Amino acid sequence: MTLVYKHLDWRLILAALALSIIGVLLIYSAQFDAATDQSLNFYIKQLLWLLISLVIFMAAINLPLRMLDYLAYFFYGLTLVLLILVLFIGQAKYGAARWFSFGPVNLTPSDTAKLALLITLSRFLAYTKLPPHSKRRLFISGLLTLVPVILIMRQPDLGTSLVFVALLLSLWFWSGLSPVYLLLIISPLFSLMAAFHWITWVIYLIILIIVLMMVRPGLLFSFYTVIINLAFGMVTPFVWNRLADYQKLRILTFLDPGRDPRGTGYQIIQSKIAVGSGGLFGKGYLGGSQSQLKFLPERHTDFIFSVLGEEFGLLGTLIVVAIFAFIFYRGIKIAARCRSRFASNLAWGALTILFFQFFVNVGMTLGLTPVTGLPLPFLSYGGTSLVMSWILVGLMVMADYYWTEY
Amino acid sequence: MKSFFIGTDLREKIGGAFVILALLAVIGGLVYHQVLKHRMFQEQSESNRIRIQPVIPKRGLVYDRNLQVIADNRLSFTVSLVPFERVKDVTLPRLSVLLEMDEDDIEKRAKANFISRYIPSPIKRGLGIDIISILEEQGQSYPGITYSAESVRRYADSLSAATFIGHIGEVSPEEIKSGGERDYRLGSLVGKQGIEKTYDRLLRGIEGTEFIEVSARGQIVGPYEGKEKTPAVPGNDLILTIDRDLQRFIVSQFDSLDYSGAVVAMDPRTGDILGLASFPDFDANIFSGVIAPEIWEQIVSDSNHPLLNRPLTGLYPPGSTAKLITAGAALELGLVTEEYLLKPCFGGMQFGNRFFKCWERGGHGKLNMVHAIEQSCDVYFYQLGQMMGVDAWGEYARRCGFGKKTSIDLPGELAGIVPNSAYYDKLYGPHKWTPYLVLNLAIGQGEFTITPLQLAQFYCGLANEGKVYRPHLLKEIIHPDGSHEDVAPVLSFTLPFSKKTMTILTEALELVVQGERGTARGLRNKYYNISGKTGTAQNPHGEDHSWFAAFAPSDDPRIVVVALVENAGHGSEVAAPIAGRIMRYYLTQKDSMAASNPPIQDGGE
Repeated sequence: MTLVYKHLDWRLILAALALSIIGVLLIYSAQFDAATDQSLNFYIKQLLWLLISLVIFMAAINLPLRMLDYLAYFFYGLTLVLLILVLFIGQAKYGAARWFSFGPVNLTPSDTAKLALLITLSRFLAYTKLPPHSKRRLFISGLLTLVPVILIMRQPDLGTSLVFVALLLSLWFWSGLSPVYLLLIISPLFSLMAAFHWITWVIYLIILIIVLMMVRPGLLFSFYTVIINLAFGMVTPFVWNRLADYQKLRILTFLDPGRDPRGTGYQIIQSKIAVGSGGLFGKGYLGGSQSQLKFLPERHTDFIFSVLGEEFGLLGTLIVVAIFAFIFYRGIKIAARCRSRFASNLAWGALTILFFQFFVNVGMTLGLTPVTGLPLPFLSYGGTSLVMSWILVGLMVMADYYWTEY
Repeated sequence: MKSFFIGTDLREKIGGAFVILALLAVIGGLVYHQVLKHRMFQEQSESNRIRIQPVIPKRGLVYDRNLQVIADNRLSFTVSLVPFERVKDVTLPRLSVLLEMDEDDIEKRAKANFISRYIPSPIKRGLGIDIISILEEQGQSYPGITYSAESVRRYADSLSAATFIGHIGEVSPEEIKSGGERDYRLGSLVGKQGIEKTYDRLLRGIEGTEFIEVSARGQIVGPYEGKEKTPAVPGNDLILTIDRDLQRFIVSQFDSLDYSGAVVAMDPRTGDILGLASFPDFDANIFSGVIAPEIWEQIVSDSNHPLLNRPLTGLYPPGSTAKLITAGAALELGLVTEEYLLKPCFGGMQFGNRFFKCWERGGHGKLNMVHAIEQSCDVYFYQLGQMMGVDAWGEYARRCGFGKKTSIDLPGELAGIVPNSAYYDKLYGPHKWTPYLVLNLAIGQGEFTITPLQLAQFYCGLANEGKVYRPHLLKEIIHPDGSHEDVAPVLSFTLPFSKKTMTILTEALELVVQGERGTARGLRNKYYNISGKTGTAQNPHGEDHSWFAAFAPSDDPRIVVVALVENAGHGSEVAAPIAGRIMRYYLTQKDSMAASNPPIQDGGE
């Protein structure tokens, strides 16, 4: 069966292409040196990666969707093996982010793991006969997620682990779990935070019990929810008081990166100055003093959005946000109309990963979310990230193309 | 029961709403930064750059026991390079001219001290205000170069303080690795020797961070208001057990001599080190700044090894000062009693096929123990040694603190050697050695080696009813909030001698000075009695080493002094007079001198 290219979702593909090209332009600017009127060759590499991404994308959309379906667990197993191997024989940088090196190409198993988990969860949640809130269903899908998350946390790579958790919660929701349930499931985290003072904790517990009484999710579920919330809440002050000062500082730094002034705090200040000084229309292409004068570290990877904000102002940032919004809109539409639950889950999951990374990365440049090292899809410098983003778009395009198939 | 499955339409709406909310939050953030706060950020971006600067805490001061300053800090400047601000082909050549350094050297330093691209890497320390004022005026010509004020250690003069204070230097990569959570930065200054090393953690404090606004021209404008700085926590001040005046006096005693040597002065009641000196000495301050190569060359190539910390790391045979071990062991083992007379000394004695000489050619005749110690008769101790054998002797020597470290709070101490039959088996092969080797050990010669500190520790025990406190230099910690914390003396061990044995030994030590034929009778004076023992250690490489170990006053000892003078011959001739003057200074003159000469005021920071 050959694809009829006319029926592909070209608007979606063009949106991704537009973002990719904006990315190359921004990377050129980010590494531009006004003194020599030249830019470092990052943009050329990114351009090459864009071509590779497009080739992979074209190849991917020609694969039958069923193949992914059949091979889901195989991919999953393979990824786990890679994740374990990379802990022992991988290359490390800055004490974290591990990868395998094949000459000029680096393979990051945590990226392929995103894909493998997406396919695996899509398959499991599509075919299981268990109802959405069945404890076995939640447990099995939770376990499928937890294993790679633990392996990735050991690298350690918190940002990517969070993507996995977001993917799981999002697919639970998409496969029918009520948002109220979701909130109850993640409620121990709220308990954890509320328990830093006993008054907030008591108020929180009262609200929790009222919600449980209104929702009536079942006696056993309610019972477990309350018990786990109590346990988390009671453990918090107990553990906190026993932590060494530097351990407390690490947690606080995660919650408030400004506490780490030498690292992430510096980047956030510079990033906010870059974005803020861009104003309505920006300083013009290649005109960003923050990024040009190199006060903004990691500007071509994690903080590429700040370069956009500085040089193109609100106008530029809103255009990029709008293109992303369009991709998310298409993602929701595609996921909603797919008749195959597997394809629908795939599209929704791909959308989730793109959305989560977009939100965390852009929020980070504005100081809204913690600095976790997640790249901005399509725009950040980095081959793996670009290929991944295009594969995710590929999954959405395929799901759309085959939407009538069961 | 309600169904908790929600249909596609509803899911689509909830999911869409969630995405829209998140996008609104992002757009809100953009509008806030780019419209509402635009002016503020624009100002910061246009006229200011922000730099982070580590705030180096004040390193704790070091005082002597009378709160006189031994080590403080003076201001100096460090020039650093901020890697991501440097401009290719501009920064390095100009910096090279300014600092008179090779570009390669600068590059090497910058790489070695690299932490992150936006934190300054120190390039050169100890710079004067002249270079800093150039940077201050023409900052814009030096892109990526910054400077910071830093305090440099300054040690009080004429103290020979390098033996115990040590010095500080840049942290090595190994130290950073082994430091764990101690928060060393590359380029941090840490204690490398002495007290500075042992108590580095107490002295150094905790580094802080501050944000500095730098104008577009590269000049430091001041602290950045938008971000609070993390203050540095200053280090603790330390009060040492050292008596600065006594230490100066000790140094002055050697200055006029052309000898190498060591002096340890301790308070036997606590283990406090009152003075600790090694000769020849060098000024501890040379390590604080940049060492001139010719000075360094001179120190390293000096055949008298000024860098050697003789009290802790000099290994010598103790000579007759160690006869007290043999005497005490013989009494404890019941080999002799106080009054028991051994075979007479005729200037030596035949053992096996060898004649062992006494230092007194004319001989000492028949002696009891007390007089044998008084006159330091070798023949008497040969006989004791032969009676007890090498292992019994070694056991007692070990229990008197020899052959193992004293655990003083200074790095680098050596243990010395206490031979026993296992040691000789290893050295010569099993049973291939003569049992007469013990005769040499019994008089403090042969393979038996000690440090002056171990000997001082032993005599502290003799002075203090057998109780030996761990030798230590830290007396009190003054926390940054001003509160004091005392460091209690630690009982290290007790000499293996009964009260009766102790009485005999101390009586004999008193006779060494007070007795008619005592080897140190020259130290007799009308103010207080001194108990001590001379020693002459045979040195295969040259003249004998001269030892004297003593405590005073005999009835209530407040000070133990061990003096060692290398290649100076008999203990009574060189070491004893020096030790005598040190004790006299400490017990009598110091107070009257202090009254006439008010203490010198050293500057603080």
